[in-house]
Amino acid sequence: MVAPPDNDVLWARALHFSYRDGSPALSGVSLGVQQGEILAVTGPRGSGKTALLRCLSGQAPARQGEIWFNSVPVHTMGAQARERLRRDRFAWIDPTPSLVPELNVWENAALPLMLRGTGRRRAKTAATEWLERLDIGALARKRPHQLVRAERQRVSIARALAPAPTVLFADEPTAPLHRADRTQVLRTLTNAARSHGVTVVLAGQDAESAAFADRTLTLLDGRRVNTVHLPPVTEPEGRAACSLSV
Amino acid sequence: MLALRLSRGARPAVQLRRLLVAAASAGTGFLLLCALGYAMSHPESPAEASLRLVWCLPPLASTIHFAAAVARTDPGTRPRPGLDAVGLGPLRLTLLSAATTALACALGSMLALLVFLHLRGDLTGMPFDGAAAASLAADSPLPLPAALTLLALVPVTASAAVAVVLRPGEPVAARTGAAGPLPRVGGHDRPGRRETFGAYGRFGARRRRGEPAAAEVNGAAPAGEAPADALTADGRSPDRPEEESARLPGPVPPRPAPRGLPWGVAVLAAGLAVESYAARAGDGGPVLPAALPTGPTGVLAGWLLTALGLALAAPGLTHLCGRLVQAVRPGPLRLLAGRGLMAEATRIGRPLGVVCAVASAAYASALVSGDAASAAFGPLSTLGAVVVIGCAVATLLTAAVEARQDRADTTAALLRLGAPTATLRNAAVLRACALLLLFVPLTLAVAHLAALPLAR
Repeated sequence: MVAPPDNDVLWARALHFSYRDGSPALSGVSLGVQQGEILAVTGPRGSGKTALLRCLSGQAPARQGEIWFNSVPVHTMGAQARERLRRDRFAWIDPTPSLVPELNVWENAALPLMLRGTGRRRAKTAATEWLERLDIGALARKRPHQLVRAERQRVSIARALAPAPTVLFADEPTAPLHRADRTQVLRTLTNAARSHGVTVVLAGQDAESAAFADRTLTLLDGRRVNTVHLPPVTEPEGRAACSLSV
Repeated sequence: MLALRLSRGARPAVQLRRLLVAAASAGTGFLLLCALGYAMSHPESPAEASLRLVWCLPPLASTIHFAAAVARTDPGTRPRPGLDAVGLGPLRLTLLSAATTALACALGSMLALLVFLHLRGDLTGMPFDGAAAASLAADSPLPLPAALTLLALVPVTASAAVAVVLRPGEPVAARTGAAGPLPRVGGHDRPGRRETFGAYGRFGARRRRGEPAAAEVNGAAPAGEAPADALTADGRSPDRPEEESARLPGPVPPRPAPRGLPWGVAVLAAGLAVESYAARAGDGGPVLPAALPTGPTGVLAGWLLTALGLALAAPGLTHLCGRLVQAVRPGPLRLLAGRGLMAEATRIGRPLGVVCAVASAAYASALVSGDAASAAFGPLSTLGAVVVIGCAVATLLTAAVEARQDRADTTAALLRLGAPTATLRNAAVLRACALLLLFVPLTLAVAHLAALPLAR
């Protein structure tokens, strides 16, 4: 077992992962994420971005390979230990904001802090501070179903940032949004992370997320590639043959 | 055929629920046939025979109640995008659930007929041949139309009730646009993400008329949203079916808090008052079969009113219970438990109220009827009581399963956050304890009050 480099907060080597039905997702991905860095993971749909993030955050155990977090092996941890790691060190943003529908906005944002054992008042203060910073302080007492989607996504960003995580995993946080909202959400997310020294692993399909990141990692069919060279789409396949046969 | 294929492929838990429906239907069918047997062997007393038939109503009602609850949680017959795409829309799936219910109930009826014939001595070759030949009028031939009519009663009423409960509440055409599932970005199915079955009042079946759509209520302007969401916002109602939440992104507006509490309390009080007045009047009342405590007719009406009041008040009380659990500066445990209870108040509260009504009736009759009476508690009364109590409890448990499946998405999201599973489990335990703490004393108190006028 090779110890990871010291300056990497998150380090993975030769990750292999396949879904339960056996279809491959990752085949031999290695990467290192430095402290305070914003790493964009890009690639077309089905290239294994979500699988990589889920493996790195300990939600799904990798079939092969090693994952180290701050020189602690994640791949050998049990389910309980990974759960604690997720709660205490990591934060996660879903593609579609998944808030608890019964809780109002500030309670949703304060929930991870409260689950860590922080007192209610301190959790509320931290949560409302982040809501203010993300321009949704006025909505603190509303329920999630009263918000539009971009606002809900900002609430989930506040929820992810409020407990001051070491690493924030954002799985296509802008996927269901329109372009204007998309840029704004990405900007608030990356600015907030930079100002608080939070390491971010940001998955995204478009080049836009790469523009906000320090470094970009491109995946294609579960492998890490430097540049995506796909054959150019010229004309519909088979059309020439059909016209010849007439 | 499709109903058969769909029911064959279900998981054991679902099959168990269907078997329970069949068992309840068998019990009810047997009671009905026994009423027929009594009528045949006592042709001189039609009034008593019809009274026995009337006493089959509580088991019948609870069987139908249970069958409807099971149909709501049935994963085989809920709308699925795949089936919707091939043209098997919500309307036909409703018919399919009715057919599945009819299947289970008919199975039970067949069983009841077999046992009945066996006990009469018409079918031989097994132990207890003709054990009850005398009381079931074995000497006269069984009137087939009468038996078939009685046996068809449970399947027909149960499937009709299921069709009414699950009927699509809004035009199918308006829904199809929003029905497709938004493809999961990233293409990875989440582990632990369960199908959320059988929403309470799916397709907006519970949608109250005259209530404005939630988009207007909330003031949430759908204008800035993506088109798919705008579609939901337009059709949203406060009672929007939960399964839409699995299909469409975004939270579903919660159901409004149950408002039946004042009505329930009023009906409960009226029932108790009627009972105590009627007990004083003392007109002898109808003769009840077996060992049920006899009393004036007014007392019986009072009991019915009391039971109705309990069932009406229970959703409101459940909501109140949740509100109390999350009341003063709650931590995460009390917050999740209390708010969850408030959100599920209607779904859990209704069957809970029925359970309380049945339990208080059972307790009160046990209080009133002495030892001598309980010795005379015949096998048929026992069967009826078992069917009623069993159905009430099973309906409550089914509703709890439904609620859990409905919240599977939220639970999965909480687990992704790293919420300890122990916290979620403790929240569920806390909910159950809070409900027990509120409803057990209430049931006992109502039972004591109901038994009071008769015990004097």
